[in-house]
Amino acid sequence: MGRPLVHRSPIPGLGISAGITLTMLSIVVILPIGALLLKGASAGFVTLWSEVNTPRIWGSLWLSFRLSFLAALFNLVFGVLLAWVLVRYHFVGRRILDAAVDLPFALPTAVAGIALTALYAPNGAFGSIAKELGFKIAYTPLGIFLALVFVGLPFVTRTVQPVIAEIEAEVEEVSATLGASRLYTIIHVILPMLTPAALTGFALSLARAVGEYGSVIFIAGNIPFKTEIAPLLIVIKLEEFNYVGATAIGLTMLAISFVMLLVINAIQILSRRRIGYV
Amino acid sequence: MSKFISPRTERPILRWTLIAITFAFMAVMLFAPLIIVFFEALRNGAVAAVESLGNPEAAAAIKLTLIVAACAVPLNAVFGVAAAWFITKFDFRGKAFLITLIDLPFSISPVVAGLCIVLTFGSATMVGGWLTDNGYPIVFALPGIILASMFVTFPFVARELIPVMIEQGRAEEEAALTLGASGWRVFFTVTLPNIRWALLYGVLLCNARAMGEFGAVAIVSGKIRGQTATMPITIEMLYQEYLSIAAFSLAAVLALLALVTLLLKTALELRFADQLAATHRA
Amino acid sequence: MHIEIDEISKQFGTTAALSPVSLAIPSGALVALLGPSGSGKTTLLRILGGLEFPTAGRVLFDGADATNLTVQERRAGFVFQSYALFRHMTVFDNIAYGLRARPRSERPASAEIARRVTKLLDLIQLPDIGARYPSQLSGGQRQRVALARALAIEPRMLLLDEPFGALDAKVRKELRQGLRDIHDTTGLTTVFVTHDQDEAMELADLVVVMSMGKIEQVGKPADIRAKPATPFVREFIGA
Repeated sequence: MGRPLVHRSPIPGLGISAGITLTMLSIVVILPIGALLLKGASAGFVTLWSEVNTPRIWGSLWLSFRLSFLAALFNLVFGVLLAWVLVRYHFVGRRILDAAVDLPFALPTAVAGIALTALYAPNGAFGSIAKELGFKIAYTPLGIFLALVFVGLPFVTRTVQPVIAEIEAEVEEVSATLGASRLYTIIHVILPMLTPAALTGFALSLARAVGEYGSVIFIAGNIPFKTEIAPLLIVIKLEEFNYVGATAIGLTMLAISFVMLLVINAIQILSRRRIGYV
Repeated sequence: MSKFISPRTERPILRWTLIAITFAFMAVMLFAPLIIVFFEALRNGAVAAVESLGNPEAAAAIKLTLIVAACAVPLNAVFGVAAAWFITKFDFRGKAFLITLIDLPFSISPVVAGLCIVLTFGSATMVGGWLTDNGYPIVFALPGIILASMFVTFPFVARELIPVMIEQGRAEEEAALTLGASGWRVFFTVTLPNIRWALLYGVLLCNARAMGEFGAVAIVSGKIRGQTATMPITIEMLYQEYLSIAAFSLAAVLALLALVTLLLKTALELRFADQLAATHRA
Repeated sequence: MHIEIDEISKQFGTTAALSPVSLAIPSGALVALLGPSGSGKTTLLRILGGLEFPTAGRVLFDGADATNLTVQERRAGFVFQSYALFRHMTVFDNIAYGLRARPRSERPASAEIARRVTKLLDLIQLPDIGARYPSQLSGGQRQRVALARALAIEPRMLLLDEPFGALDAKVRKELRQGLRDIHDTTGLTTVFVTHDQDEAMELADLVVVMSMGKIEQVGKPADIRAKPATPFVREFIGA
């Protein structure tokens, strides 16, 4: 082996910092995740598959991933718009709006959950408007979608904002001198520059939405086959002391998320390599 | 003169339309949920809201949440500082992998996190069974809640510190060492003053999330009234018993905490921009 | 194209970047705006390109008032000091950009675009780099690509802001001749900004010496060397 495991360094504290890091990481993260994998391995693929392979679970997984994808997509569009307005335009209240973008990060999910339900329930401020227009929001997939939009809102904005701030003025100016309209410049020059960061935000938003529990269960109504999200089924299995069942769903969620993130990462690496900073 | 539009911006009409959309979007999506919490809490007046917080269940929940945060946050802060020191001051193989592992909790559902902890430390497991038999139950008890809160907030402090410490490099520490300072002295007199605001920033986010964690805690706590029910869990219980005022009053306390967190966070970003990670500089 | 600058002034807040300046640039000339930083030379160039709007005064192109023309309408080939190449596009796509950005009715067919890009790559003597990305080019190559991109729109004039500023001395010398050749081939009225008096004297037909928002002297390089009009010019060209 050519390279040593740890390079010698004059700076002290290797032992204690490595010790604390690895010990705590093991107890808090590695051991628990290992236990999940071990549980899955000891149950065996056939058992896990028979636990997952029920219409109710597939239904919930499909609901979770579909709505999470849609919510992340929605956040992608509005996140970029928000980032653009907050970085580029100067108007009264900009700082307050900028600070408020992080509200979904700071507000506990259970609080968000009951607040959104109070708003969108048929007797709520927004829900009653929907009711008059003849549709329901809370206790339908639309309500789940809105909750997932709420929790994923800051990701795209926060990843894209610094990139917008760093776009050199000349790049936009040169586009105009070459005769391009503002719209053409935005589509062909600015948006491609934002793509890698926006995709990162999209991936983060998606990952968060798929696993989200607290803000969704209140507004979802939790009707089997209709508005039952995958994390809720894990909770239900655990309440029945069906650990293998819970493990099976948990592992399936991890696997699907992993594949999705892999795909997004691949797209990202491609688009980043083209721009020149790998 | 007035006809000239800089090639770096949009027509005023479009600009103001986009600003209006932003305001409308944020009013509906962000501000409305926040306002409704206080509105519902104060539906029967401030007295009723405050009284509902005085009942033993709510009081126990507030106390428990404070205890959990008081344990989980400092532990994660110690971890964050140690991990950042290890990662930024030394060169070793597998660094990228280590960072991935530290970030892992962000991409795992809190519910799955709770499940993992139950599978590791539940009374039916080897480790958990042994601990329970010796009088130290983890799951459905305080240690489990702390562990779950630590899991979901694990990367926060490390993530703030690592980029800042990379940017600052090792020169100052090396200079202090050549002047004869001991390791701890270097840390407390050179490193810590450089990272204190980033550390505070990370602790702030960690604390907000730890106090508000729901999914993971819902699973490991067993939701025992007055014993293992944190504030978010109690909010759920009260809400499902249609004790709306009580639920929203407790929620309002957490919402206030969120607002204070945002306020402090913004203040840090404005005041100490140069000492935070580049992505937080306003 | 003949360019006339008529009593142009520019205020940024309370500071005057340009006191009223007037200047006539004959068609087909290669002109250097020479001066130290803060002399207003870049501001004047940006006003010509339509990137800034003058506080007062007019710009005339071939005798017609162009002051209110938008950047897009001016068709000025502009080369920035940083080149501002589009990092996410190949060299080919960078050069083709201005042609593709035209409204459908004026846009050449893609075969015609390809033909023109190839011709421009030949002109800058880099025929084989069309498929590369800007990050894979040297500084000198980037500068030439930026020049080709500006030429692709068949500009009415060429405006260059410190075109050699970001290059080392050796490449700089080579590219000076390259710019001279391209100017002579295309016959375009060309204005470039520089703080380097050697560059201005060696390359330009006409040198405009500027200081603190004013034009100190306009003349042929030899005349300026022989007869500096003001003490500032004498000191600046180090005569």
